[in-house]
Order: sequence, then C-alpha cells, then structure tokens
Amino acid sequence: MAAKLSLSGPSDSDTSSPSDQSVSGRSVNRSLRIAEKERRKNEAEDPFVLALKYFSDVEPGTPVNGNDQLERNLVCVEKVAYSKGLHPEAISIMLEFAMSLRMGSSPCVRVLKCLIPSSVVPQEAVVRAVVWLGIGKIPISTQVLFIKWVLTVFDMIDAKDQLRAIYGFIFSFVTEENLCPFICHLLYLLTRKESVRVFRVRKLLELQSKVGRQPFLMHLLSLYKVFCPELVTLSIPSPMKNAFRNHNSPWKSALLAVQKRNGSQVSSSSLSLTAKDKTNSRKRKHCHLEVPALNSAVNKQAQTDSCSSRKVVPLVQIHSFAQLLENMHRIELPAQMGSLLGSSLTLQFLDCVQDESALLRLNSWLGYALHEEFLFCNDAGSFQNSEEALQFLEKLLSTLHFRQEGFSSIEVFLYKFLNAWDGSLLRPQILGLMSNIPVVTSSQIGQFLFEPLMQLFFTSSLFFKCGLMECLNNMLLKWLTWHSVYALEDDLDISLNSHTSINITLSGFKDSVMELVHFVGRLATVGLQLEGCHSLLLSFILDFYETVCDMFLKYGLPLVVMPPPGVFYPALFAADPVSVDRLAYIMYRYKVNLTSAKRQEKLKEQAFHISRQTFHEFNHYVVVMVNCLWNSKMFHQGMGVQLGEEVLLKSNVPQYSNSFDLIHHPAFLSYAVDFHQKCWPGRKDMDLNSIKHSKPWRWYLEYLFTQGYDGLKQFVQSNISWQPIAGDGGSDDLATQQR
Amino acid sequence: MIISVVKTPRNSDGAQRSSYRQSYRSYVGAVSRLGLTSALTARRLNTSRRAPRAHNITDKVSPEHLAVLVKKEWQLSYVTPLFQFRHTQLKRYSQQLSAFIAAERQGVAVEVEEPQHSFKASFSVVHGMAEAEEDAETILIQVHSKHHFSRRDDPEKCVWSGWLACINGSPEYIRSLPKDFICLPLFGSSGGDPLTSSVKSWFQQTFDCCFGSLEINHTSLQWLGSLWTNCQPESNIQHLKMIWAVPVVPPLQITYTVNPQDAWELWTCVRKDAQVEKEGEEEEEEEEEGIIDIEEVNMFMQELKSHFYRHFKLDLSAGNLVQVSTALGSAKTSGRIKISNSRYMISTLTLLTECALLKMPV
Repeated sequence: MAAKLSLSGPSDSDTSSPSDQSVSGRSVNRSLRIAEKERRKNEAEDPFVLALKYFSDVEPGTPVNGNDQLERNLVCVEKVAYSKGLHPEAISIMLEFAMSLRMGSSPCVRVLKCLIPSSVVPQEAVVRAVVWLGIGKIPISTQVLFIKWVLTVFDMIDAKDQLRAIYGFIFSFVTEENLCPFICHLLYLLTRKESVRVFRVRKLLELQSKVGRQPFLMHLLSLYKVFCPELVTLSIPSPMKNAFRNHNSPWKSALLAVQKRNGSQVSSSSLSLTAKDKTNSRKRKHCHLEVPALNSAVNKQAQTDSCSSRKVVPLVQIHSFAQLLENMHRIELPAQMGSLLGSSLTLQFLDCVQDESALLRLNSWLGYALHEEFLFCNDAGSFQNSEEALQFLEKLLSTLHFRQEGFSSIEVFLYKFLNAWDGSLLRPQILGLMSNIPVVTSSQIGQFLFEPLMQLFFTSSLFFKCGLMECLNNMLLKWLTWHSVYALEDDLDISLNSHTSINITLSGFKDSVMELVHFVGRLATVGLQLEGCHSLLLSFILDFYETVCDMFLKYGLPLVVMPPPGVFYPALFAADPVSVDRLAYIMYRYKVNLTSAKRQEKLKEQAFHISRQTFHEFNHYVVVMVNCLWNSKMFHQGMGVQLGEEVLLKSNVPQYSNSFDLIHHPAFLSYAVDFHQKCWPGRKDMDLNSIKHSKPWRWYLEYLFTQGYDGLKQFVQSNISWQPIAGDGGSDDLATQQR
Repeated sequence: MIISVVKTPRNSDGAQRSSYRQSYRSYVGAVSRLGLTSALTARRLNTSRRAPRAHNITDKVSPEHLAVLVKKEWQLSYVTPLFQFRHTQLKRYSQQLSAFIAAERQGVAVEVEEPQHSFKASFSVVHGMAEAEEDAETILIQVHSKHHFSRRDDPEKCVWSGWLACINGSPEYIRSLPKDFICLPLFGSSGGDPLTSSVKSWFQQTFDCCFGSLEINHTSLQWLGSLWTNCQPESNIQHLKMIWAVPVVPPLQITYTVNPQDAWELWTCVRKDAQVEKEGEEEEEEEEEGIIDIEEVNMFMQELKSHFYRHFKLDLSAGNLVQVSTALGSAKTSGRIKISNSRYMISTLTLLTECALLKMPV
C-alpha cells in the first residue's frame, strides 16, 4: 500500500480516503497531524473525492435513468480524468464500479472510456476486473472494450505477476470469437516459457483450423515456438506486420495528452508492438546473402536436459541492451549463429560468445555466403546484381569495425578470392576486408597474400595501387595495435602458453611485420617507377612509412626497417614540398626511435638488437639529405646518386651541386623566389645564391618553417647543429651518434 | 522405417584444440585451421585414387536401402558440417521434419507431436556405407505423402527422398572439427523442388548448416568415365557415352559413344604404358596395382579425343565434358548423378565426397 501511495505522489491533492490512514499512521508529530486534519477537511469538500466515494459506495441496483447524482459524479470524474488523469485508487474504484455492473451495463462503457491513468494502474484492479469478466453478464462489446483498455495501459500496470498467475484463466477466453484477437494480444504480452503447454498449443491449433490462419493466432503461436520449438512449428510469411491491430484505441490520444501535461513519459510499447519488420519483402535472388532470422534452437533438449533447471532466455526475447546485460549469463544461443550479424544488439552479444563451436558455426555460414556469392557464382549474372553484395560487404565491414576482430572464414575466403579478383569489383569493400586480416605467419604470407597482390598491383590502375597501399597501411596498423595491446598484457611475451597448438612468438610476429614492410617497399619501388613517381601514390606510400618509422615508440615493437632507396629518393626529389617535408618528418621519427632504442639497448642486457645495417642505412640517408638540402654537395663522393663529372658538365646545368639544396630544390624554388622578393624588394636582378649568406639563410629557413613545414623543421633541428642566433649559416655538423 | 542406435563417431581425440584466448584465436585462428587442413587454398582433387573394386556391398547394406539408392537420379549438394546432429535422435527428427513440412506447405502452425501429418518424413541410418573410421554413417530421409481420401491400408507413396553421406572423407578435415559437429558433406535429393527446399531449410535451422549446389566438373567427369571403364572386365559397362558441349554459335552438343570393349582396350593400353613408365622409375610397386593416376585419366581422354579428331576433324579439347554415362551410372556436370550398379557405388561416392569437401568454406 505504501508503495502505491508514493507512486501516486504526495503532490496529488486528490489522495482518497482509504489511503489516508496509512499516511496518518506514519505522521509522527502534532503539527503534521494538524495539517493532515486540515487536508482531510479540504478533501471532504472536494467534489472529486465525493464522486469517488459515491461510486465505491453505491448500492447495486440503483436506477440509472434520471439519476442526477450519478450524472453529476460521472461528469466530475470525467473532467478530472481527461485533464489530469486518474490516480491508482480512482482507477480501482471506477473499474470495480464498471465491471461489477452495479448500476447495469449502461454507465459501464462511459466509465471505461474515461479510465485515463495519471501514473500507474494497480494490478489488483485489473485482476479483479478480469474475474468480473468471467462472472458478470457484461455485453461482449464492453468486454472487448475492457481488454482493449488493458492492452492500452499494459505498460502502466504496476506489476504483472498476478496477471501471469491467472494466465490460464485469461487463456480460456480465446474461444470467445470476438474477444480472441485481443486476448491473443494480451496473452502475447504475458507469455513466459512456463505458460507454453501442450494443451494450450492444441487449443490454439484447433482454433486455427476453425478460423484459419489469423495473424493474431499466428503471432501468439510464433511466440510459443520461440519458447518451445519442440512443441510447435510454423513458418511466418515475411509481410506480416501489424499482427495485432489495436492501434486506434479510444484512450490513446487522451492518454498522451494527460501524460504530456503531467510530464511523465510512460511509453506504451505494448501498443506499438508489431511483427519484426522485415524490410526486404521482395524476393531475393541470392538467398545466401540473407542473414538468417533469429530463431531459438529446437535441438537443445538432447544435451541440456541435465541443466534444464537453469533457466535460459532465448536471444529472440532480448530486446534491449539492459535486458542483454541482465540475462547475459543465461542467454541461449540461437538456432543459426549467422543470425547474430542481423542487429547491433546481437552483435553486442556475439562479443561475449566464447564457445568455439558457436564461432565455427558462424564462420561456416559467413564463409558459405562469401564463397557462394563471389567464388562459386553459378549463375553468370550474379556480379551484375552486386547491389546486394555491396550491402552485404558493407554490413560485414561495419561488423568487423564494431568487433575490432576478424572472422577466420573471411580470411580463408580472401586468400582464395585474391587469385580470382580483377581488382575492381567492389574494390573499397574487398580492400577493407583485407585490411582486417590478422597476423599471417611469415612462412605463409608470401603464398597467401603477396603473390596474388603483386599480380594485381602491377596490372591495375593508379587508384588500385593507392588503395592497396592504404589497405596495407591499415593492416599494419591493426597488427601493431594488436601487438601493443597484448604485448602490454603479456609483458612482452607473445609466445602463448604451452597448451596452444599454434603460437606466434615475438620473433615470429616481427618476421611477419618485416615481411610486410619489405613487401610494401618492393611494391612501392616498382609502383613509383611505373606511375612516374605520381605524387598521389607517393603520398600513400609515405603514409605507410609514417607508420613504419614509429613502430618502436608508438607500438613497442622492437623493430626498425628503413625505406628502400626506391622510395627514399623519389620522395627527396619530389616536385612538391609536402612530400619532401613528410620525408623529413619520417627521417626525424626514425632518428627518435633509433636513439631511444639505442638507449634501451644499453639499459637492459637482454634487450633486442638493432642491426648495424639499419643504423648504417639511416646514417647514409641522413648524410644524403643534409648534403643535398643543406650543404649543396649533391653529387659528392659517397652519395647515393653518383654521376660522372663529364656527364654532369654535359648537362649544362650551372652549379649542379646546388640544384637540390633548399633554395634550388624544385619543390622549394618558388618559396626561394618569394622570399627573395620579400627580402630585397628593390632588387631588379634575382640572385638566389645570395640567400645562402648566413643571415638571409637563417631568415629563409624561418620563413620556410612558418609555411608549415614542421617535418623539415624537426629534421633540421635534430640533425644539424644550427644556431639561429650565431648566424653561422651553412653549418655542416651532422649528428652522428648512431652508428 | 528402420531406426536403430548408431554411435555417432567421436572425432574428438585428434581435434581437441585448446581453448586459447579469443583474441588470439581470431588472430591466428585461420592460420591454425589452414595448418590443420593442409592449406585450404591449395586443396585440389586427389591426383590418384584406388581403382573401384567390386564391393560386396550387398552383404553390408540392406537390400531395401540399396534399392532406394541405386534406383534414382540424385541432385547433389554440398553441406557444411552439421551442428549437434545425433544418429540417436532420428525419431525426433522425423517428427520435427514432418511438422515442419506441414507448416511450410499449409502456412499454418502445426503441433510437432501430432501423429497424422499429411507428409510423413522418416529418417533412417544406412548401415555399412561408411568406409573409413572417421566417416559418419549415411542418413536416408524419405517423405511419404498421405492422401486424405486414401484408405487406411493404402500404401503411402514416397514423394521425396534424399541422403547425407560421407564416404572416405578427408580424416584431417573431419578431425579438425570440434566434437559437436558431424561431417556429412554430400547431399543427394530426388523429388519435388518445394520439398527439397523445405528439407534444406529445416536442416539449416536445426543444425545450423548451409547447402550449396555441387556441380561435377570436367575433371571429376573424366575420373568417373575412367573409373567406370576400368570395371569393364568384371561387369559389362555396355557403352561409354560422353556428351561434350562445344562453345560455338549456335551451341553444339556432341554425343560420343564408345564400344565398351574398345574403351577397355584403350584403357588397358594407357594403363600398361603408365605402369611401364612407373616401373622404370621405381622397381617395387607391387601394391600400386590398383591405383589409378590422374595422368592415366588424362591420357585416356586425350586418346579418345584424338580418335574423334581423326574421324571428324573436330578437336574436343575446345569443348567441355558435360555428361558421362555407362551401364554403371551416369553423371552430369549440373550435379545430377545416377548410380545404376551398387557394386561400384562406393568409389563413386568417395570421389563425390571429395568434391563436396573441396567446397567447404571453413
């Protein structure tokens, strides 16, 4: 009682007399008691309270016709109902009055129509009313009206346990032809596993044979099937929406208005309940791409008999994330694991599925769908109809994105598919799937990935090349992220515990990464040659090396791999300043990584070893860059690019050794000219070499840095001991602590 | 209907793959499966196989079952492993499938345990078909229809039948599956399409498996032609009939029928040559006697083609073999097979099981 009181709310001035007693019982001091008295006095004069009192006390058999008192009171109740809604006690009183037919059936409909609850509906009242349904001689239309009312306010009924307890009693009304649709709906809302019984199934089937396959029957039966698939089976045709047509209930608008006024939001989900709407009712040509419907497993009996005491919840019955959390430990896997890909809610659940068999089932279905669509395609025209394939792959990609994990079947599929792919069909999606391929051991990576990819790469357009570079970069990023997560977790011991059949050790992982980086290096070298060092391709390649240069510091992988000359030189001599700047940034990050690796190597005995070769390559590249950009010693001895003196003379380029310094480099020439004009606005003849002097050189560099070339700035600052204040421009001190 | 208790083979021993953490599984999972199934991408049809021996299958398999199996032409499909299929639950499956078909057919809800469905499905085990230790026993499914107006003692008419089999399935593959999976990769069906699709969807929903069509490709047809020809001395093949589809406009179909004795003589020549060659390489290959190599098959077909060329100046290599038939059976590229003589059934089914396993997505 107390609970109900608090629900009706203390602000409610219409609290009626029976509940007052408990309130006064709780009042402790005098002043409260006085206030209480005052309130009662007020209430006693409240016409609404008086009206309720009239309806609860009225003698059976009181005449209706010409009964002004009844009319007055009813109007009063209606007024309150339509404005504020009725509080629980009022609902109880009015419902009892109507259903008991104390004054006959004529006021009954009018009362039912004004039963607009303000907050909740007490369960007891509904149960009593249902009982009256069995006893009284209520006209059938009124009975229908009552059940409709229950359906409308179903979500506002404060508890459902007693209603479920009289499930059998409610069920008995299904035989009443006019009531049946509404009773079925009510039963649908009340059904629990334990309510599904053979005799009820039989009753409904008997009814079905009489009235045909009515949607309301089918829907109740389909719910029975969810709980007990071993008892009943049926196939629901997909366009079966609006199984329960109760949407135009007379209370809906009034209820909404009252709720709006009271500011409370009790959503009546029971009303909007429809069959799970299958958006695609059109006939699918490729049924293998259709995610199976969520069904509960039929075949569980065999193996779960022993643990049937544990209550399981079919996944079909889970409709919200909250429910999912609540029942996480006892959710029963669906009949077809593929159905988990159907909604985001079930995907959440999939994340928690650890069962190997379940994952194999899912992988079987997924692999089957992919194979049938893209590899076995029996009907020749299947690729034309790729809209569905596109949607399927998009869905798969978002699933992968959500899960942050791959499926082994996708991997197996891709290894086969890459040999048959033309490189253009659904390119973004296939590349997207590919970037999710988990670490492949270095012994297999060549056969599975590199060989088919190499063929595709060399025979495809520039855009495919760029796409593949991006894809491989993403793949590397995922591998590295995976490593950094588990390396932290396992304290750098990637080798799994001894009980695994296949394990990937840290060195195995390093080998795979190294293979991948070298592979991209080879692709990039040839790709840049084929595409004439296209700056778009170069940009994607530099993206990749931005990942590679930071592997040690960002992802904790003790591995440093330098780019091949085929990437380094095209970037250094690129005609756009952005590429040169990015190369400078990459070289700067290499330096930071190498320095820190060196420091760690000294610190720990057992630390990894970075080969001298790597340091050598790095130093060589740095020397080349500094000599070329800074010292104007482009073609000196020991540089990467060597040309005979006479060839250079023949080229007729004056001061050829200058031609790639920061002033004459094709990427920066325009800046040099611009700077020259700003520095010496009066000068007619342009002598770019005058920037070389210490002061203008310093200004020029600062000018470049202000143009956003941070990579260049970091490179210069970390590799060249250059004092802007001293003005000793052209310093050629190399930082060569790495060796 | 015969229902008896058959132990579902437990292929768990070798397959107890450890339960490592999920993230690791997903990261090295496929690789480990690849390792187990010897590189899925590189799987090919066996290049050599045992010559069909006249099996005394009539001793092992009951005559009623054999009669069902050899009478019809079957449309083949491949099936992914069945989850929690039990050979001991066939009675229940019969009931469920009957109800399922009734529900699908009539579009109404149906009580599963109702005794009188208009279609009665029955499952039975065909004993004696399994060859290798890992093979699960073959399952036969029959659907009988009952007319409302038929008298009680009227015999029910069999309107649909199908079977699931695994004959000499790759032990590595079967062992790699977790123990609650049963591998019966080959599905043959005969009967109306609506019933076939009902049965398939019931299997899909009950055992979480997938069905895909299984065509018999050029190579497999050549194999069948050679394997059947090899039986000629023991059991007259009557003819070796091949249908070739030649890609010209309008499409041309060439039926090429060879006299059984001629085919056998050509085959023995090819065999002899190959055997001589083999012996040249390795001396002691006594037990290799019954093994047929893909090269012999290719050579046999090549000779047949050149014979055709000599007569008609038409090179059949440009076309595709689409059908092979002898008195022992017939096979079409569309995946229809008819086995007319039960004595050589096993070797045919072995080849087809292999084809089905090649289609497995995982």
